[in-house]
Amino acid sequence: MSTEPTFIPLDAIRRAPVPDPANAPTEDIRELLFDLEDAGELIVQRVPEPYVEVMTKYGRMKKIPLDKTWHHKSCGQCGHIPGYSTSIFWLNRQFGMSYDDPTDQTSCTAWNYYASATSNAVAQAAVASRNFAAAYATGFYPMIHCGTSYGHYKETRAELVHHPELRRKVRDIMAKLNKPLIVPEEIVHYSEWIHVMRDKIAERQVRDFSSITASIHPACHYYKLVTEDAIYDPDIYGGQRTATVTGLVEAVGSTVGDYSTFFDCCGFGFRHILVQRDFSRSFATQRKIEIMKEEANPDVVITHDTGCVTTLDKSQFAAKAHQRNVGVPVLSDAQFAALAMGAHPYRVVQLHWHATDYTALLEKMGIDWEQSWAEFESDLKRIESGEIEYLSWEDADA
Amino acid sequence: MRSDRVVVVGAGPAGLEAARLAAELGSPVTLVEKNEVAGGMPIHAHYATLTHHFRSAEGAMREMIDAVTSNELVEIRTGTEITSVSGSVGEFTITVASNGTTEVVEAGAIILATGFQHFDPSRETQQYQYYEFPDVITIVDAEKMLKEENFVTPTTGKPPERVAFIQCVGSRDRQIGNEYCSKVCCGISSKQAIEIRKMVPNARVFIFYIDMRMYGYWENEIYWPAQEEYKVNYVKGIITEILSKNGRLVIRGEDTTMGRPMEIPIDIAILSVGMEPSAGTRTMAKILGLTSNKYGFIETDRDILDTVTTTVPGVYAAGAATGPADLDDSIASAGAAAAKAVSLLRTTAVTV
Amino acid sequence: MSTMAPPMPFTADRGATLAPNSYVDVPYEEKLRLWEEVKSDDRFPDYLYGCYDCGICVAACPSAKYYDFSPRKIAQAAAREDVELIYEQMNDDVWNCSQCFSCNRCPRQNSPGGLITLLREVSVKNGLASAKDALEGYGRVVYKIMTTGTQISPDMLQPDAFPDWGPDVEKTSDNLDLWRRALPPETLHTTETSWVVSDETLIELYLIWLHSDVMDIIKEADEGLHMIILDVMEETLEDAGYEV
Repeated sequence: MSTEPTFIPLDAIRRAPVPDPANAPTEDIRELLFDLEDAGELIVQRVPEPYVEVMTKYGRMKKIPLDKTWHHKSCGQCGHIPGYSTSIFWLNRQFGMSYDDPTDQTSCTAWNYYASATSNAVAQAAVASRNFAAAYATGFYPMIHCGTSYGHYKETRAELVHHPELRRKVRDIMAKLNKPLIVPEEIVHYSEWIHVMRDKIAERQVRDFSSITASIHPACHYYKLVTEDAIYDPDIYGGQRTATVTGLVEAVGSTVGDYSTFFDCCGFGFRHILVQRDFSRSFATQRKIEIMKEEANPDVVITHDTGCVTTLDKSQFAAKAHQRNVGVPVLSDAQFAALAMGAHPYRVVQLHWHATDYTALLEKMGIDWEQSWAEFESDLKRIESGEIEYLSWEDADA
Repeated sequence: MRSDRVVVVGAGPAGLEAARLAAELGSPVTLVEKNEVAGGMPIHAHYATLTHHFRSAEGAMREMIDAVTSNELVEIRTGTEITSVSGSVGEFTITVASNGTTEVVEAGAIILATGFQHFDPSRETQQYQYYEFPDVITIVDAEKMLKEENFVTPTTGKPPERVAFIQCVGSRDRQIGNEYCSKVCCGISSKQAIEIRKMVPNARVFIFYIDMRMYGYWENEIYWPAQEEYKVNYVKGIITEILSKNGRLVIRGEDTTMGRPMEIPIDIAILSVGMEPSAGTRTMAKILGLTSNKYGFIETDRDILDTVTTTVPGVYAAGAATGPADLDDSIASAGAAAAKAVSLLRTTAVTV
Repeated sequence: MSTMAPPMPFTADRGATLAPNSYVDVPYEEKLRLWEEVKSDDRFPDYLYGCYDCGICVAACPSAKYYDFSPRKIAQAAAREDVELIYEQMNDDVWNCSQCFSCNRCPRQNSPGGLITLLREVSVKNGLASAKDALEGYGRVVYKIMTTGTQISPDMLQPDAFPDWGPDVEKTSDNLDLWRRALPPETLHTTETSWVVSDETLIELYLIWLHSDVMDIIKEADEGLHMIILDVMEETLEDAGYEV
C-alpha cells in the first residue's frame, strides 16, 4: 500500500436518489380513506387550496394547506410557552393567511394517555374525531400545534382505517354527539407549514442570522410515529433524516450544528416530566444539551414540539446549579422564524417565559434586548394603568 | 417455426454456465447481455475475490467467459436487450434490440439469468446515513477498494483504525418489505473482514449481526478463521444508528449477548447490503408473463423439487433471478436449467 | 406488508418459566387472564410480530439508559408468551417507558412502546398494585384532563409545582395575570381563557368518556377520583339536559 493518502471521492458519486413511491413499503392511507368514504363509512376533509405539495419519507407527496387553517392548539404551549402559539399566529398574519383560533376543541388528551393509560383506543379516536368534526364544521383545515397530537392522530387514523369494530364504536359515539365521523385527508403539523413557507420566510427576513449556529432536535412523535408521513428531502441530510426544522434553519442562513445524539428523545417521557422529573432532567441535559455544547457549541436549540421545548429549556437550571456544561436557549422553529422576520422578542416571541438565558442569542441576532425589554415593560405599565386592557396585535408590531 | 436454439438472458455467472453447458450438450445457444461486457455483477461491481475460496473474481469470470467464447455453438450478443417475446415452447420469437436496430431470434427454450441488484441504502429504515457520511460505505464499495488494494478511510485517505460491518441492511426487514435473508452477506462480510485484516493489520474489525448464517463449509473456511486467525470481533446486536461525533463516526447499538449498550467510535462503517431482483429480472418477468413473488424474484413452479422451471413452459430461470443465491447455488441451478432446456427440446423434437 | 400465516393455536405454558418469579402469591391463572386480555386488543397484532433479539430498540431507548429496562425483553417475553415474566414486567418495567416510540424502528415492525401501552392499560384496568402506585400523585392530572380537556392549565405555573425549574417560575407566577394580558392572541389573554374549552365541547368530551368505558378504568384505578370526576361530569351534563 502507498504511504501517501489517497482520497476516494465517494461523496462525489453519491447522491441520494429521490424515493419512488411505487416502492413504498406501506400502503397509502389516503387511498384507504377515500375507499371508506366511498363506502359511506366516514367523511374525508379535503385539503383546501392553496396548498403546497411536499415529499414525505417514501416519495409520496403530501398537501400542506397555506390558508384557512383551524389551529389545534397545544395544552402545554398555551400553558407554559405562550410565545410559541403566538409566533405561529403572528406568522400567519404576516403572510395574510386567515386562521381560526377556536374554543371548540379539547387537547388530544394523548399526554395523559401515554403517561397513565387511563384512557383507551376508542376514547382516543373519539376525541380526535370530535376535534376533526369541529374543524370540518368551520370549513377551516386542522393544523396541529403539538408533535404528540400530530403523531397520535396519525396513529388513531391508521387504527380507524384498519379496525372496523373501532370505527363502528367511534361512529356510534359521534352519532350521540350529532356529529359525523370525519378524518382529514392529511394530518398536518404546523412545522410542515413553516417548512413549505421557509423560502417566503427567508424573503421577508430582516435580521441577519448567518452568524448563528443552531442545533436541531427533531420531535420523536413527529417522525417516529407513522414515519412515512414526515417530510424528507434528498437535499437535506441525504434524505435520511427528517428535513422539517433543518430546512428552515438553513433557509434563514444559519449554520446547523450537528451532534451525535440527534436521534435521541428530549427526555420528556410523559409520566416522567410529571412525576419522575429527575429522569427527564438528566436525559435532557446529559444526552442532549451537554453533547450539543461539546460537539457543536450552538447558540440555540431549535425544535418543533411543546414537550421538547419545555424539557430541554427548563431542565437546564438544575444542571447549571451543578456546574454542568449547559446553557443553550431553546426555541421553537416558529419563534425562530418570527425573530428572523423581525418579530419583537417579548411582545410576539414572549421569550420571558423561557428559562435558559437567551440574551447572548438576541445580541447575535442584532437585537438590543435591553431596549426591547424596556419597550415591553412600558406595554405592561400601560396595561397596569388601565390605558389598555390587553396587548393587541397592532401593539405587538408597533 | 420450431427451433432447437436456447436463448440465455444475462451473461453473469449463471448465464455463462447455462450457455456453456447447453452448448456442450449440443444445442445452439444465443447469449444475450445488455451490458457491453460479459461477466455480470462480479465484473460490473468490481468484486475483488469470490466468496468463499478467495479466488480472484476477474480470473474466475475470465475462465467462464473463455469457456463460452471458445464454443462455436454459442453466439454472444452484448449490448443487446430483449424487447418482446411471442410464441410458445419450442417456437419462441424473440425480438432483440442493439444500438437502435432490432432483430428477431427464434428459440425453442429460454433461460433467464438476469440476476440481482444490490440493495440501495437510501431505502433502509434504520439510521445509517449512507448518503450523508462518506465514511459510511457498503460491501460493494468495500469490495472495490479491496480490489484496488487501497483500503482507506474515505474522508482522510488514511488506513482505518476501526472498521465495523453492519449486517442485514435491506434484508430481514418488514419495514422495508424485504423479509427474506440475502444468504451471502454474512460470508462476504467475513471474507472482507479477513482481507481488511490482511491489508491493514492494525485495524480492529467488528461485525455486528443478528444471526451469523455461515452454513456448510463457510463455517470452517471463513467464520472460524476470521475469529481465530484474524481476530475479527463478532458482536451479536445490530447497530441502531450511525452519527458523526467531532468528525469521526460513532455507532450505537446493544451488545445483546452481554446485555449492555454500545457506543463505539469508528473510521469506516460497512453496510452489508442484501440482494433485490435486478431491473432485468423484473422486465423479463413482465415480458414473458412469468409469476414473480412479492419481492419481484421469479417463482419456480414446483418449489424445492424443481428450482429452475418457471410457470411458463419452455422458460427456465437460474441464479439470483429466482431469489438470493451464492455462486455455488447459481452455478448449480444454471446447470440444471441448461440440462432441462436441452432435454425438453430433444423430447419435444421426438414427440412432435 | 407480509401476509401472515394463520396463527397456530398456542397455549402459554407455565413450564416455559424456569426462573423463580417474584409474584408467587398471584395464581398463574390470573396472570394468564391478564395476558389474554392484552392479546385480545385489536392493536396487538400490529404491535408484535416476533423478535430475533437484534437490540435495535434498546440502543434507541432513552429509558434503557437510565433504568434497568429493555424494550427487547418486553418484546421477547411477549413473543415467548412467558406469562410469569410478563406479569413481572406489568408490575414494574412498563412504567419506565418514555413512550417516545424510538423503538418503532424495529426491523420486525414490532412496536415495543405500543405493546407497553397495552400492558399499562390492562394493568390499570385491573387495578394492579403497581398501576395504583404509578398513578399516585397523578390524580390531579387525570382529574384535570377529564374535566377540562387539558392536562396543563395556565394557572399551574406556580413555583412549588416546579421547584427545579429555577427562579423564573416564581417571576412568571408573580406576573402571571399581567403577562397573560400582554399576549396578543385573544384566547391567551387570561389564565382562564388560555385553555378555554366551550361548554358544548366539554359536554361532548364527557359523553365520550361515558360511552367509551374510560370511567370504568378510572374506577378500577382510583375509586375516590372516579367519584369526584363523575360528580363534575354529572352536574354539567344534567344542567344541559342529559340524563346520566
